[in-house]
Amino acid sequence: MSHLTNIVRKELKELLTPGTVASIMVMMVLFMALGGLIGGEVEKAKVLPPVAIVDSDNGKVTLSGGETWDLDTALRAVYAGSIPPGRSVDDYVYEVQSVKTPDGKIDYADLTGRLSSLGLSSALIVPERFSTLIATENQASLEQFYIYEAEGLFDSSPSVVVSSLISSLNGMLSRTLLTEEAGITNYWFYTNPIRADGIGTMINGNYVSDISPAELASQVTSQTMMVPLVIMIIIMMVGSIVISSMGSEKENKTLETLLTLPIRRTVIVTGKIIAAAVVGLVYGLAYMIGMSFYMNAMTSEIASGISLEDVGLGLELQDYLLLMLSIFLSIVCALGICMIMGAFAKNYKSAQTMTMPLSILAMIPAFVIMFSGWYGTSSAIQGVLFAIPFSHPMIAMQALMYNDYSIVLYGIAYMAVFSAIMILITVRLYNSDILITGLGQSKAAQRFSRKR
Amino acid sequence: MADALVLDNVRKSYGSREAVHGISLTVKEGEIFGLLGHNGAGKTTTLRMISTLLRITSGSISVYGYDVSSEPEKVREVISYLPEDAGAYKDLTGRAYLDFISKFYTSGEAQREMVGRGIEIADLGDRIDSKVDTYSKGMMRRLLIARAIMPSPKLAIMDEVTSGLDVLNAYEIREIIRNIAANGVTVIISSHNMFEVEMLCDRVGMIDQGNLILLGTPDELKEKFGAANLEEVFVKAVRKS
Repeated sequence: MSHLTNIVRKELKELLTPGTVASIMVMMVLFMALGGLIGGEVEKAKVLPPVAIVDSDNGKVTLSGGETWDLDTALRAVYAGSIPPGRSVDDYVYEVQSVKTPDGKIDYADLTGRLSSLGLSSALIVPERFSTLIATENQASLEQFYIYEAEGLFDSSPSVVVSSLISSLNGMLSRTLLTEEAGITNYWFYTNPIRADGIGTMINGNYVSDISPAELASQVTSQTMMVPLVIMIIIMMVGSIVISSMGSEKENKTLETLLTLPIRRTVIVTGKIIAAAVVGLVYGLAYMIGMSFYMNAMTSEIASGISLEDVGLGLELQDYLLLMLSIFLSIVCALGICMIMGAFAKNYKSAQTMTMPLSILAMIPAFVIMFSGWYGTSSAIQGVLFAIPFSHPMIAMQALMYNDYSIVLYGIAYMAVFSAIMILITVRLYNSDILITGLGQSKAAQRFSRKR
Repeated sequence: MADALVLDNVRKSYGSREAVHGISLTVKEGEIFGLLGHNGAGKTTTLRMISTLLRITSGSISVYGYDVSSEPEKVREVISYLPEDAGAYKDLTGRAYLDFISKFYTSGEAQREMVGRGIEIADLGDRIDSKVDTYSKGMMRRLLIARAIMPSPKLAIMDEVTSGLDVLNAYEIREIIRNIAANGVTVIISSHNMFEVEMLCDRVGMIDQGNLILLGTPDELKEKFGAANLEEVFVKAVRKS
């Protein structure tokens, strides 16, 4: 067994303990469970909620042809087309009587009690003279009433869905009135004389029909949002592991022993970096799997269902390889920084505090790219992002979608140079006294303390 | 006997502060040499320079003919260093730790033999298969001494080797050191335990504030200062210097 393999195996044993493996698994299961939970909530939010009609009118609009129109029947017709098969409209539309206050208004406390007893949280209140007003060509009003229950992520969705009911009712009634009362047979023309048709968007030089930039942006965001988050978490986790490992080695003086064994310092540094990178990739894979469940649940049901492959924004095999290379190099850059910072740690405790700058460096690009995207930021911010090596896999995901290979390749080249410099500095540090004596004994630190 | 270790006017500075002021000494092959001095005298710094852990500011150190500054990798092949209060990787068992270290020296059957030798020296019974973070201080020290000795180094460098151990453990460790020296291994130990050094070492060097103030056998030093023991020698020497 080579010395490098020996170091890597030992490091992996130290880093991938049953405790850390268990924490990775728990985290992955947690994200998957969260995804399932959110998916269920999204499904729930899509279903029309049961609604009560509080009808103070009880009238019907009698049309000139002798036919009648009433809200209850119209509402039941809307529900009939939307409820799951095998369910009855009566399970969704309830008629509820409500008490009125002395000044003739609805007693909302009483209504709340009545709705709660039926397990409902939405009601449409039909005022007196509703049908009379419509029959006399006056605009009538419908009042919405909700009981707010802070039960889930999509608590507000019943109100959104019930509001849309009013649009449906409006459409139905206007069609009836126009055809029956005004004798307009071409109802669709009079209500929509201009049809929005032929939406087309130019994407990467390709004309794609039936897709708006808004729909596209929503889908692209849902696909790319995960990468910055995962990279940020990997960098923070791996950084913490490596710096803590260095701190622990110094505290236990195992590093002193290691440095006096007949092995080259470059082998020690490389072994530590390889092992930590492997652990980083294991963490990354676990997070990717967990978060993909989570993000899919968050976005797939809400997004428009556009396939990015169909519009030329999908990733090819070479794109995935470039992305993986970018992720790997960003991890190596992080490890290089950590090894340098870890060299200055006195012990495990002091090492813990050193992870802060790295975490900040990982958070800045993650949040900027998540919220503004690489292409939506100013040149100055792009310059800052480019200088932070962890930005590049986050940028790469977006850039590869738009076939912007130059920024990806420049990023990979930059990270390769950056990580090489970090490793060289680390090897120099491993050959210097600082690793043993810490910063306090170095010439620079002494000069600094003398100046103070 | 050939020279195992030669320090020639060795100096070590941290910025403007000089921690070791031109130490020169020679340790013969198979000798147990003791570096004496109070805390902060420069013992550990000297041992770390010999072990290639710290760079020498000026002067030279030669270990079995290899120069510490220009041939550190050759030096590491013939030495074994045991730092003061050292530990081992807490998630490994004692056996796994010895196995890990042995693979840097040899492979195959020779490597398995080396681990067997380490287990024998550690003498931890079935606790050799327990994780090292469950070991007592004495058990940990035995494991680390086994680690340091099992590769059969030419020069074993041990910093405060019995520090913090109970009488029985300290006694057993001194026995181990005597045995390896009897088998031709040169040993250099640092200690501020004068009694231990007097019992164990063939020759002694006393360091005070980075200076080597005395060098000789325990008997020579006691005679020179008319002292009953090394502790008295040390006190008189420090007052004189």
